[in-house]
Amino acid sequence: MKRIVVIVGALVLGIGAVMAQQDAVKNAQTFMKGNGKNAGALAAMVKGEKPYDQATVDTALAQFEETAQKLPTLFPDSIKGLKADGDYSSSPKVWEDKAGFSEHITSFGKVVSEAKTQIKDLDSLKATFPGIGKQCGGCHETYRVKNS
Amino acid sequence: MVRRIFLALVVAVVAGLAVFWWLTIPAAVSSDMLPAYTPNIANGLTTFNAGGCSSCHAVPNQPDRLKLGGGLAVPSPFGTFYVPNISPDMADGVGRWSEANFVTAVLKGTSPAGTHYFPAFPYASYQHARVEDIRDLFAYLKTLAPVSGRVRDHDVPFPFNIRRNVGIWKFLFMDGKPFVPDAGRSASWNRGAYLVNSLGHCAECHSPRNFLGGIISAQRFAGGPNPEGEGWVPNITQKGLADWSVKDFAYFLETGQTPDGDSAGGSMVRVIKNTSELPPGDRDAIAEYLKSLPPVDGPPRPPKKSAG
Repeated sequence: MKRIVVIVGALVLGIGAVMAQQDAVKNAQTFMKGNGKNAGALAAMVKGEKPYDQATVDTALAQFEETAQKLPTLFPDSIKGLKADGDYSSSPKVWEDKAGFSEHITSFGKVVSEAKTQIKDLDSLKATFPGIGKQCGGCHETYRVKNS
Repeated sequence: MVRRIFLALVVAVVAGLAVFWWLTIPAAVSSDMLPAYTPNIANGLTTFNAGGCSSCHAVPNQPDRLKLGGGLAVPSPFGTFYVPNISPDMADGVGRWSEANFVTAVLKGTSPAGTHYFPAFPYASYQHARVEDIRDLFAYLKTLAPVSGRVRDHDVPFPFNIRRNVGIWKFLFMDGKPFVPDAGRSASWNRGAYLVNSLGHCAECHSPRNFLGGIISAQRFAGGPNPEGEGWVPNITQKGLADWSVKDFAYFLETGQTPDGDSAGGSMVRVIKNTSELPPGDRDAIAEYLKSLPPVDGPPRPPKKSAG
């Protein structure tokens, strides 16, 4: 009886751990998707598809800032090597090159907080937004892989 | 009888070797084939950016994309290639090259020593470039700072390390035809077609390849497994990017941002560094051409591995 309890307990714990891992993967992905959605909203204004809207800008920048703060905790060691559903997964380099990865995060945070003071109208958005996009790409170049 | 068969065999082998030798003679452009010309350095810069030279030839892990000392490792199914120094350094770069040497290298894939380059150098695309663009490019490269340091040899195992065999590859996968504009299309579309198919060498990554490493032409631009390793290269025909407008393509080439707010990753980040430097009209031209690509199904993706 005791043995069964231990086994079942271990299984439940194990499943729980796996689910927690999957949740962590999903969590990171949700954050990134949120960034993408906000970046897309800003890009639509830069491209002239939508009129300039300060509220949209503020929402986007607030979310970028939150991401920059949370990024260091979004990729715990427990999710190393896990494949996410959808188009992309994180590269093992996230964990193999932690110093490089956190450098990118710091740089992203810096650019975002500068952007918060700079973006006031369409012209300043046009001037500043590509710099944010470069941060996204700069990190994705090395630390994200496309699923096959 | 045995003797006769033996003789016939010897003749066949000798004939075969002769055909192989003849087929694999590296092509070259000699200097007397190049008419007098005053290079346009500004166009050389455009060629440099359109050709993505810096993506591979810049010294890795440092910010200066004009420091062309090479050294980047390019993994492939055939071994690892180490990108050479193309800075104008006299000892280690192209400083001592003649213009004909350079034109030969880019358009024919043949080194000044008369050997084949491996097709990791995308001359199968560059062959379609205008010779004037390449002469301008050479003049532009000469204006950059020399970088010393010779890059190590490629790490390519037998039998791929026999360069003469590359001649067969060229025979199979290069048509040697210059770009011919389509009179039924706009000047801008033709400029885009030219940039994409010659200098831009987009198809080199965005197409699946056969077991010999040649592009499967029926699935050109339809994406496939990443030749450099992990992941998948996207289908850039209208099968994959039907929801992108011409403007979206141009904006992506300028900023690396997709219409849904995502950003380019992997090697495409280096490509964007080049295309963001192009004149806006050239980006618009590329966009117009890409938007016109008919939808083509790429190779099937392997079944998704389950997480964990």
